[in-house]
Amino acid sequence: MATALGSIAEIDRELAQLRTDAETGEPFQRTSVMTHIAWVPAEWVEAAEDVLAGLAERHPSRTIVLVPDADIGDGLEASVDVETFPAGEGRQIAVETIRLRLCGSRAAAPASIVQPLLLPDLPVFLRWRGLPPFSESPFEQLVDVVDRLIVDSTEWPGLPESYARFPEVFDRVVVSDIAWARTSRWRPQLASLWPKIGNVKRIKVTGTRAQACLLAGWLRSRLGHDVELEHEEAKRLEGVDVDGEPAPFPPGDPPAPADLLGDELERFTRDGVYEEAVKAAA
Amino acid sequence: MTETAEPQLENPLLEGLHLQRTPEPCALVIFGASGDLTRRKLFPALYSLALRRLLPERFGVVGVARSEESDDEFRERMKHAVQEFGRDEFRAEVWDWLAEGMRYVATDFSNDEGQDHLASVLNELDEQRGTAGNRVYYLAVPPDVISTLIREIGERRSTEGWTRIIVEKPFGRDLESAKALNHEIQEHFDESEIFRIDHYLGKETVQNLLALRFANGIFEPIWNRQFVDHVQITVSETLGIEGRAAFYERAGAIRDVFQNHLLQLVALTAMEPPADYGADSVRNEKVKVLHSIHTPGPKHVVRGQYGQGYIEGQEVPGYREEPGVAQDSLTETYVAAKLYVDNWRWADTPFYVRAGKRLARRETTIAIEFKRAPHPPFELQNDGLQPNVLVCHIQPDEGVSLEFAAKVPGQGMALRTVHMDFLYGGTFRTGIPEAYERLLLDCFLGDARMFTRADEVEEQWSLVDSIVALWQRDRPSFPNYPAGTWGPPAADELLRRDGRTWRRH
Repeated sequence: MATALGSIAEIDRELAQLRTDAETGEPFQRTSVMTHIAWVPAEWVEAAEDVLAGLAERHPSRTIVLVPDADIGDGLEASVDVETFPAGEGRQIAVETIRLRLCGSRAAAPASIVQPLLLPDLPVFLRWRGLPPFSESPFEQLVDVVDRLIVDSTEWPGLPESYARFPEVFDRVVVSDIAWARTSRWRPQLASLWPKIGNVKRIKVTGTRAQACLLAGWLRSRLGHDVELEHEEAKRLEGVDVDGEPAPFPPGDPPAPADLLGDELERFTRDGVYEEAVKAAA
Repeated sequence: MTETAEPQLENPLLEGLHLQRTPEPCALVIFGASGDLTRRKLFPALYSLALRRLLPERFGVVGVARSEESDDEFRERMKHAVQEFGRDEFRAEVWDWLAEGMRYVATDFSNDEGQDHLASVLNELDEQRGTAGNRVYYLAVPPDVISTLIREIGERRSTEGWTRIIVEKPFGRDLESAKALNHEIQEHFDESEIFRIDHYLGKETVQNLLALRFANGIFEPIWNRQFVDHVQITVSETLGIEGRAAFYERAGAIRDVFQNHLLQLVALTAMEPPADYGADSVRNEKVKVLHSIHTPGPKHVVRGQYGQGYIEGQEVPGYREEPGVAQDSLTETYVAAKLYVDNWRWADTPFYVRAGKRLARRETTIAIEFKRAPHPPFELQNDGLQPNVLVCHIQPDEGVSLEFAAKVPGQGMALRTVHMDFLYGGTFRTGIPEAYERLLLDCFLGDARMFTRADEVEEQWSLVDSIVALWQRDRPSFPNYPAGTWGPPAADELLRRDGRTWRRH
């Protein structure tokens, strides 16, 4: 049900129309807990759509997907979808997705485009795909209009050096990192090795580079001394050796990508432990 | 992992970790393991808790019932129950973990030999599963065997670890028997070890009522006699007695639903804000409400019994035609009452409550009807200006809706009542846990907040006794409402006399 739209007014009109059941004329119940903005450069579009598909039902929200394309002529190309889910006896709830292609110079001024589309009084989350261009206009603008920034540092090149500039935004916006969330099953396991782990000198992490750096940073910042890191690349966190001894494997299955993002969307407060881990990882 | 162990407080790695509440190791003993409750509710709840890793790592369940069954037969029967009634997908590895700690003991509840056998099975579980002598006894048994069990368990309680006891409703059948039962239990157990279950309190939406009232600044200032015209609470079922004639003939609607679920909803609606969310703070406030409810006069209580009628287009028999029910039964399947809570907040504000079987629709709601606007400046048509109503939908369609007047678009100033809905399942799409999951976990954790305290039960029975005493004076003409309707005409009259009507559903 996608229609090409060129202005905010047209988007609003289309949304109002789609919120009514075409067959019965009855309005769907609109229910939202947040506005979720996703900044998705072209190379991330496919991966982002997969995650959004799993997210919509769990977190009814208005999702605004921003796809920047600075290399073509100025303009705005938008499409909107209203997806419905059953909720209760005979009722349907509607969640909205607005996809915006920011063409030419529009890509440099995203805040002015998303602000009229934000749901009033609800929290605004920004999911930034890839490494944020710190100090550059689109990133700076959007950080100032959102309540929470969600990144996945697994997507960042050049770790751990790339973490160095990240703490600059900690005082401006609450930050979540999905790579950090992916270590959440392992951290209690490592904590359970206390007090022996208090003197750890070296860890070997089999997982992504981001997971390895963050776990090392976490241990350094919490324990207050250096912890040497050896990293073995794997697509997921498969093991942690503490001074040569494997830590017990955590119970349960690792969560799906949509669940990881979903969990982060439920958190609203600053995570000081993560912030310290990033600083110590860099 | 517990959060309380002292050495862990010094562990810097624990800071910021989102640790779930996980109880200490324990063994759960279910008396009445062959019953419907165990099959339909308890095991599906245990499985859901196991799936979410909320049960202790060292855990065991012993089913106890009269019928002969082996451990494996018990496991197999419960596995089917979980597959049939569980809310989660069945995962063999989760079930296998739970099943490994399952045992079955066939015994008559008063039989010494059987109790010895149970004790040895529990000791064995302590050794094999590391349950550390901690016990939760769940009494899902008919009321007449509860006393015997309490005595047996009390006298044989483990000297190691802690012991908790969960008692299913009905807790007694009148004030005297409830007091006697409380006395008996308290001879062997401390109040903090006794968990009287009312599964309504485990419902998310019932707990949401507390959130609505005490986590929002806008409702509490108008939640009183100055602004509220009256309150209507409905607990209606479309089901009949579902083969439970022996129980229902003795209980009726007043003991089955009014004494517990319905009065709990009244208490939660009318209570003062507790000082904190501790078990005693919340329960103290509920007891004050129950104590303040004044005994309704005979004209303020209506009872009914359903006759033959139609549910969803299908003909259903009357109560007296149900198997096991006496043909001249005077058991009520419906009760409605106008209650007053005699305190500063609610004086002269009626609480109209009703509960019944075979009614037109399955629904549990609390409706707060506010006073009308004193002087609307508009020329009103139709029924005039309708009052604002805040409706808490406990089930189904869990949520909250607010009814208010809005202008109909167009010339002039025509008004219409519109609904603003918050749909629980629409906003939080993570699946609502079953009440028994929450309550079992709370008991394993020793959290009695959502369980009923001795004095609370006694206040409930005191009110029920006074109503039942009124009923001894006359003989009702039953049946007095057809199945599939909203109850006897006298229940409508109860409100009509006050110039009000039951909410239209």
